[in-house]
Amino acid sequence: MTQQASPIRIAGDTHVGKVRTMNEDALILEPRLGLYAVLDGMGGANAGDVASQLARDAIRDFVLHRRAELAPKALLEAALVAGSTAVFTAAQQHRERHGMGTTAVVCLIVDPKHVVIAHVGDSRAYLLREGRLQTLTRDHTIVEDLVERGLLAPEEAERHPYKNVLSRNLGARAEARVDLLELELRPGDRLLLCSDGLYGYASAEAIQYLLGSGDAPEHVTRDLIEIALRGGGGDNVSALVIEAPAAAPSSTQVVRTSGAVAWWQHRQRFLQVASDGGLTKNPIVRGLAPQEAIELVALSLCQAIYHDLEKSTGVNVWTFAQNLAAGWFERGGDWKAVRGIVDILGGAARAVVDDIRARDAKLGFLLDVAVSRALIVVELALGGLLAERLRQIDSDLIELHGAALDTVEHDTLETAPPIEGSIERPGERPADRPGERPAERPSERSIDRFIDRPTIPFLRPDRPVTSSGESSEVLGAIAKAITIARGRLSPRAELVAQILVALETVATDSGGNFAAAVLAARELYGVRSVDNAGVMPLFDALDKARVVATSSVHQVRTSPAIRVRVLRALCIAHQRLVAAATGLVLEAVVPFGERLREVQVVTGELREAVARAEQRRADLERKFATIVDPSLPWGARGSTEW
Amino acid sequence: MADSHLAEAVRVLRDEVLDTVQHGDRDPPGAEVFEALLRALTIGGESIPGLDLTLHDAVARRLAWGDSEEAVLADAELVFDRLMVSADRAFRDPADQMVVIEAATQVAVTVSRVVALAAVAGAGRDRAARMREEMSHQQLKEVLEKQKATIQRLEHELEQDFR
Repeated sequence: MTQQASPIRIAGDTHVGKVRTMNEDALILEPRLGLYAVLDGMGGANAGDVASQLARDAIRDFVLHRRAELAPKALLEAALVAGSTAVFTAAQQHRERHGMGTTAVVCLIVDPKHVVIAHVGDSRAYLLREGRLQTLTRDHTIVEDLVERGLLAPEEAERHPYKNVLSRNLGARAEARVDLLELELRPGDRLLLCSDGLYGYASAEAIQYLLGSGDAPEHVTRDLIEIALRGGGGDNVSALVIEAPAAAPSSTQVVRTSGAVAWWQHRQRFLQVASDGGLTKNPIVRGLAPQEAIELVALSLCQAIYHDLEKSTGVNVWTFAQNLAAGWFERGGDWKAVRGIVDILGGAARAVVDDIRARDAKLGFLLDVAVSRALIVVELALGGLLAERLRQIDSDLIELHGAALDTVEHDTLETAPPIEGSIERPGERPADRPGERPAERPSERSIDRFIDRPTIPFLRPDRPVTSSGESSEVLGAIAKAITIARGRLSPRAELVAQILVALETVATDSGGNFAAAVLAARELYGVRSVDNAGVMPLFDALDKARVVATSSVHQVRTSPAIRVRVLRALCIAHQRLVAAATGLVLEAVVPFGERLREVQVVTGELREAVARAEQRRADLERKFATIVDPSLPWGARGSTEW
Repeated sequence: MADSHLAEAVRVLRDEVLDTVQHGDRDPPGAEVFEALLRALTIGGESIPGLDLTLHDAVARRLAWGDSEEAVLADAELVFDRLMVSADRAFRDPADQMVVIEAATQVAVTVSRVVALAAVAGAGRDRAARMREEMSHQQLKEVLEKQKATIQRLEHELEQDFR
């Protein structure tokens, strides 16, 4: 049985929710017994909390006193029966508490690799293994029993009026029928015990995401409760996370922990080597005091690498390199200075890694790889900037070339001899004749903006047609899959429901030109602000619709071959829909760039006006100086400073 | 078939799906999408955030090297379309085929999502830059007003001196 020294990490918490005034959930967190549980009480006259607490105490006491006598499975079953008896007896003794009861999902850790789970009611146990979430328990509700017996279709269960009515609980009778499960834990497995206040208000995807986040169990528990509260928090919420000991840490984990710390501990060495390498003499930091230059440049990169090592990302280093180089280039700086400073910083980073390698060869090797990766990110960021400059020069050249062509064309027209009548002159364009629509100039024809096109440009015309020629059997199966998927949605998920309808429309569209995808995407997109808060909910809903739709395909009763074709049609339709939605986002962001360019033009004009005025002022002052009486002091005329 | 075997089977389709013959020894367009798919199939339990990060890096790199968002999306879509056709022919077991279709869809739509995120972030940066420009307009106008006043005063004083 698990003792306190168990390497298993556990955390649990409970919250009253946003609607209820009393918390009727109860938890058991007994590391010395290896006993953990979530109980969800029910019953009128304040009896729900009494039931869950009575059962909690009875189960804990039973395990405490009888653990030496019984095998783990039998022990847990008997403990839950004892809990039921305690609640039932109390209900018999107090008339106002008649009918109270509680659910229970209990986990007994036999050893770090072996657990037993018992449950009664609709509190659940989930297992996250290798990133996949599976439900270990089956809800003891009337509707679930009907589905299991084949009397009710799964898609009808979600809408059934009795879907929350329990078929089993602790306290309804002195005895209790307990479901038991033995489980072998693998390294890194995570178990979640929770009440219906969690899974009723947080999606399975969200639970999977948070449970698989790699955060400590106490953080996961807190986040799970938070997400249920954000989902409405209509019930008491309880969550208990049990994490099996992880396998030997991967290279990434070593770098994220020991590597990042070792790097930060050597920051003074990094700054020293950068300073010795001549960083303070680089033109980029000219005008700064040496200490200031070191702090601004070297320490910033040192911090960026540290944060990137911690998170296994490259975003901080990328941002550092981009800001450093972009600022320098904007000031008219040359490439040589950037190359020089990056080489100095790279040398300092390698010196630090060498130091660490001298003390710990393995850590040094891993850090060498990670730091080299960070330095490559710096090079990539610089490469991106250079590519951007090259593009700018290219577009300037194209513009100049277009302007030169226009000038030549204009000169040719100006010098061409006039010809009477309606005969078209060589070189004349229809636009030059009054009353006719102007023709496009070559440079105008080349401007083919995304937003001017009738549909999404990357939806190619030669793409394969998804549903053309699909049999009525496949089309029928698509409709069935979508019906099942819609039945699994909560009433609040309106956008997801709309997307499912759109998916069916696109997947069964016989046109094959994907206008349906674009039209559906436009309808779903509606009016949104161009920021994460406006756009991301649409993509989240699209993702959720995909998960629900594809998993529903597996529930359609048809042959495997038909099922594949249904899945294929729905997946292609989904991809088209997401691509079209992305096209709309790209379309929506265009005006932001255009408006920026417009104000930049105004800034340029204002700067020119200031320069001209400055020139005028200087001219006047020179003129003034030549005619002023030399015997008078300059100051007597007043200052001309502005 | 285990997921790792499935990944091996899909890897065989690389040349066909990416049309590598056309691109010589360079990485063909959409290679990052195909690699992400293989990774998703190999690891099996690859978390959504993991896949997201991989593709985020790949898309950011392509955008940094000057490819347009439309090009990135078109390549992802091309890989997706070709894979749908190839998977239909290459896998006899419907269960295998379904796993590949689902994984390919997840990868393709993740690319779209990442591109959309990048576009929205770019719009945010443009918006902030525009605000900075507009603030500098105000300062430049103030400077211009002061310069005009100085010029007027100097012109006036010059007129006085000539008299």
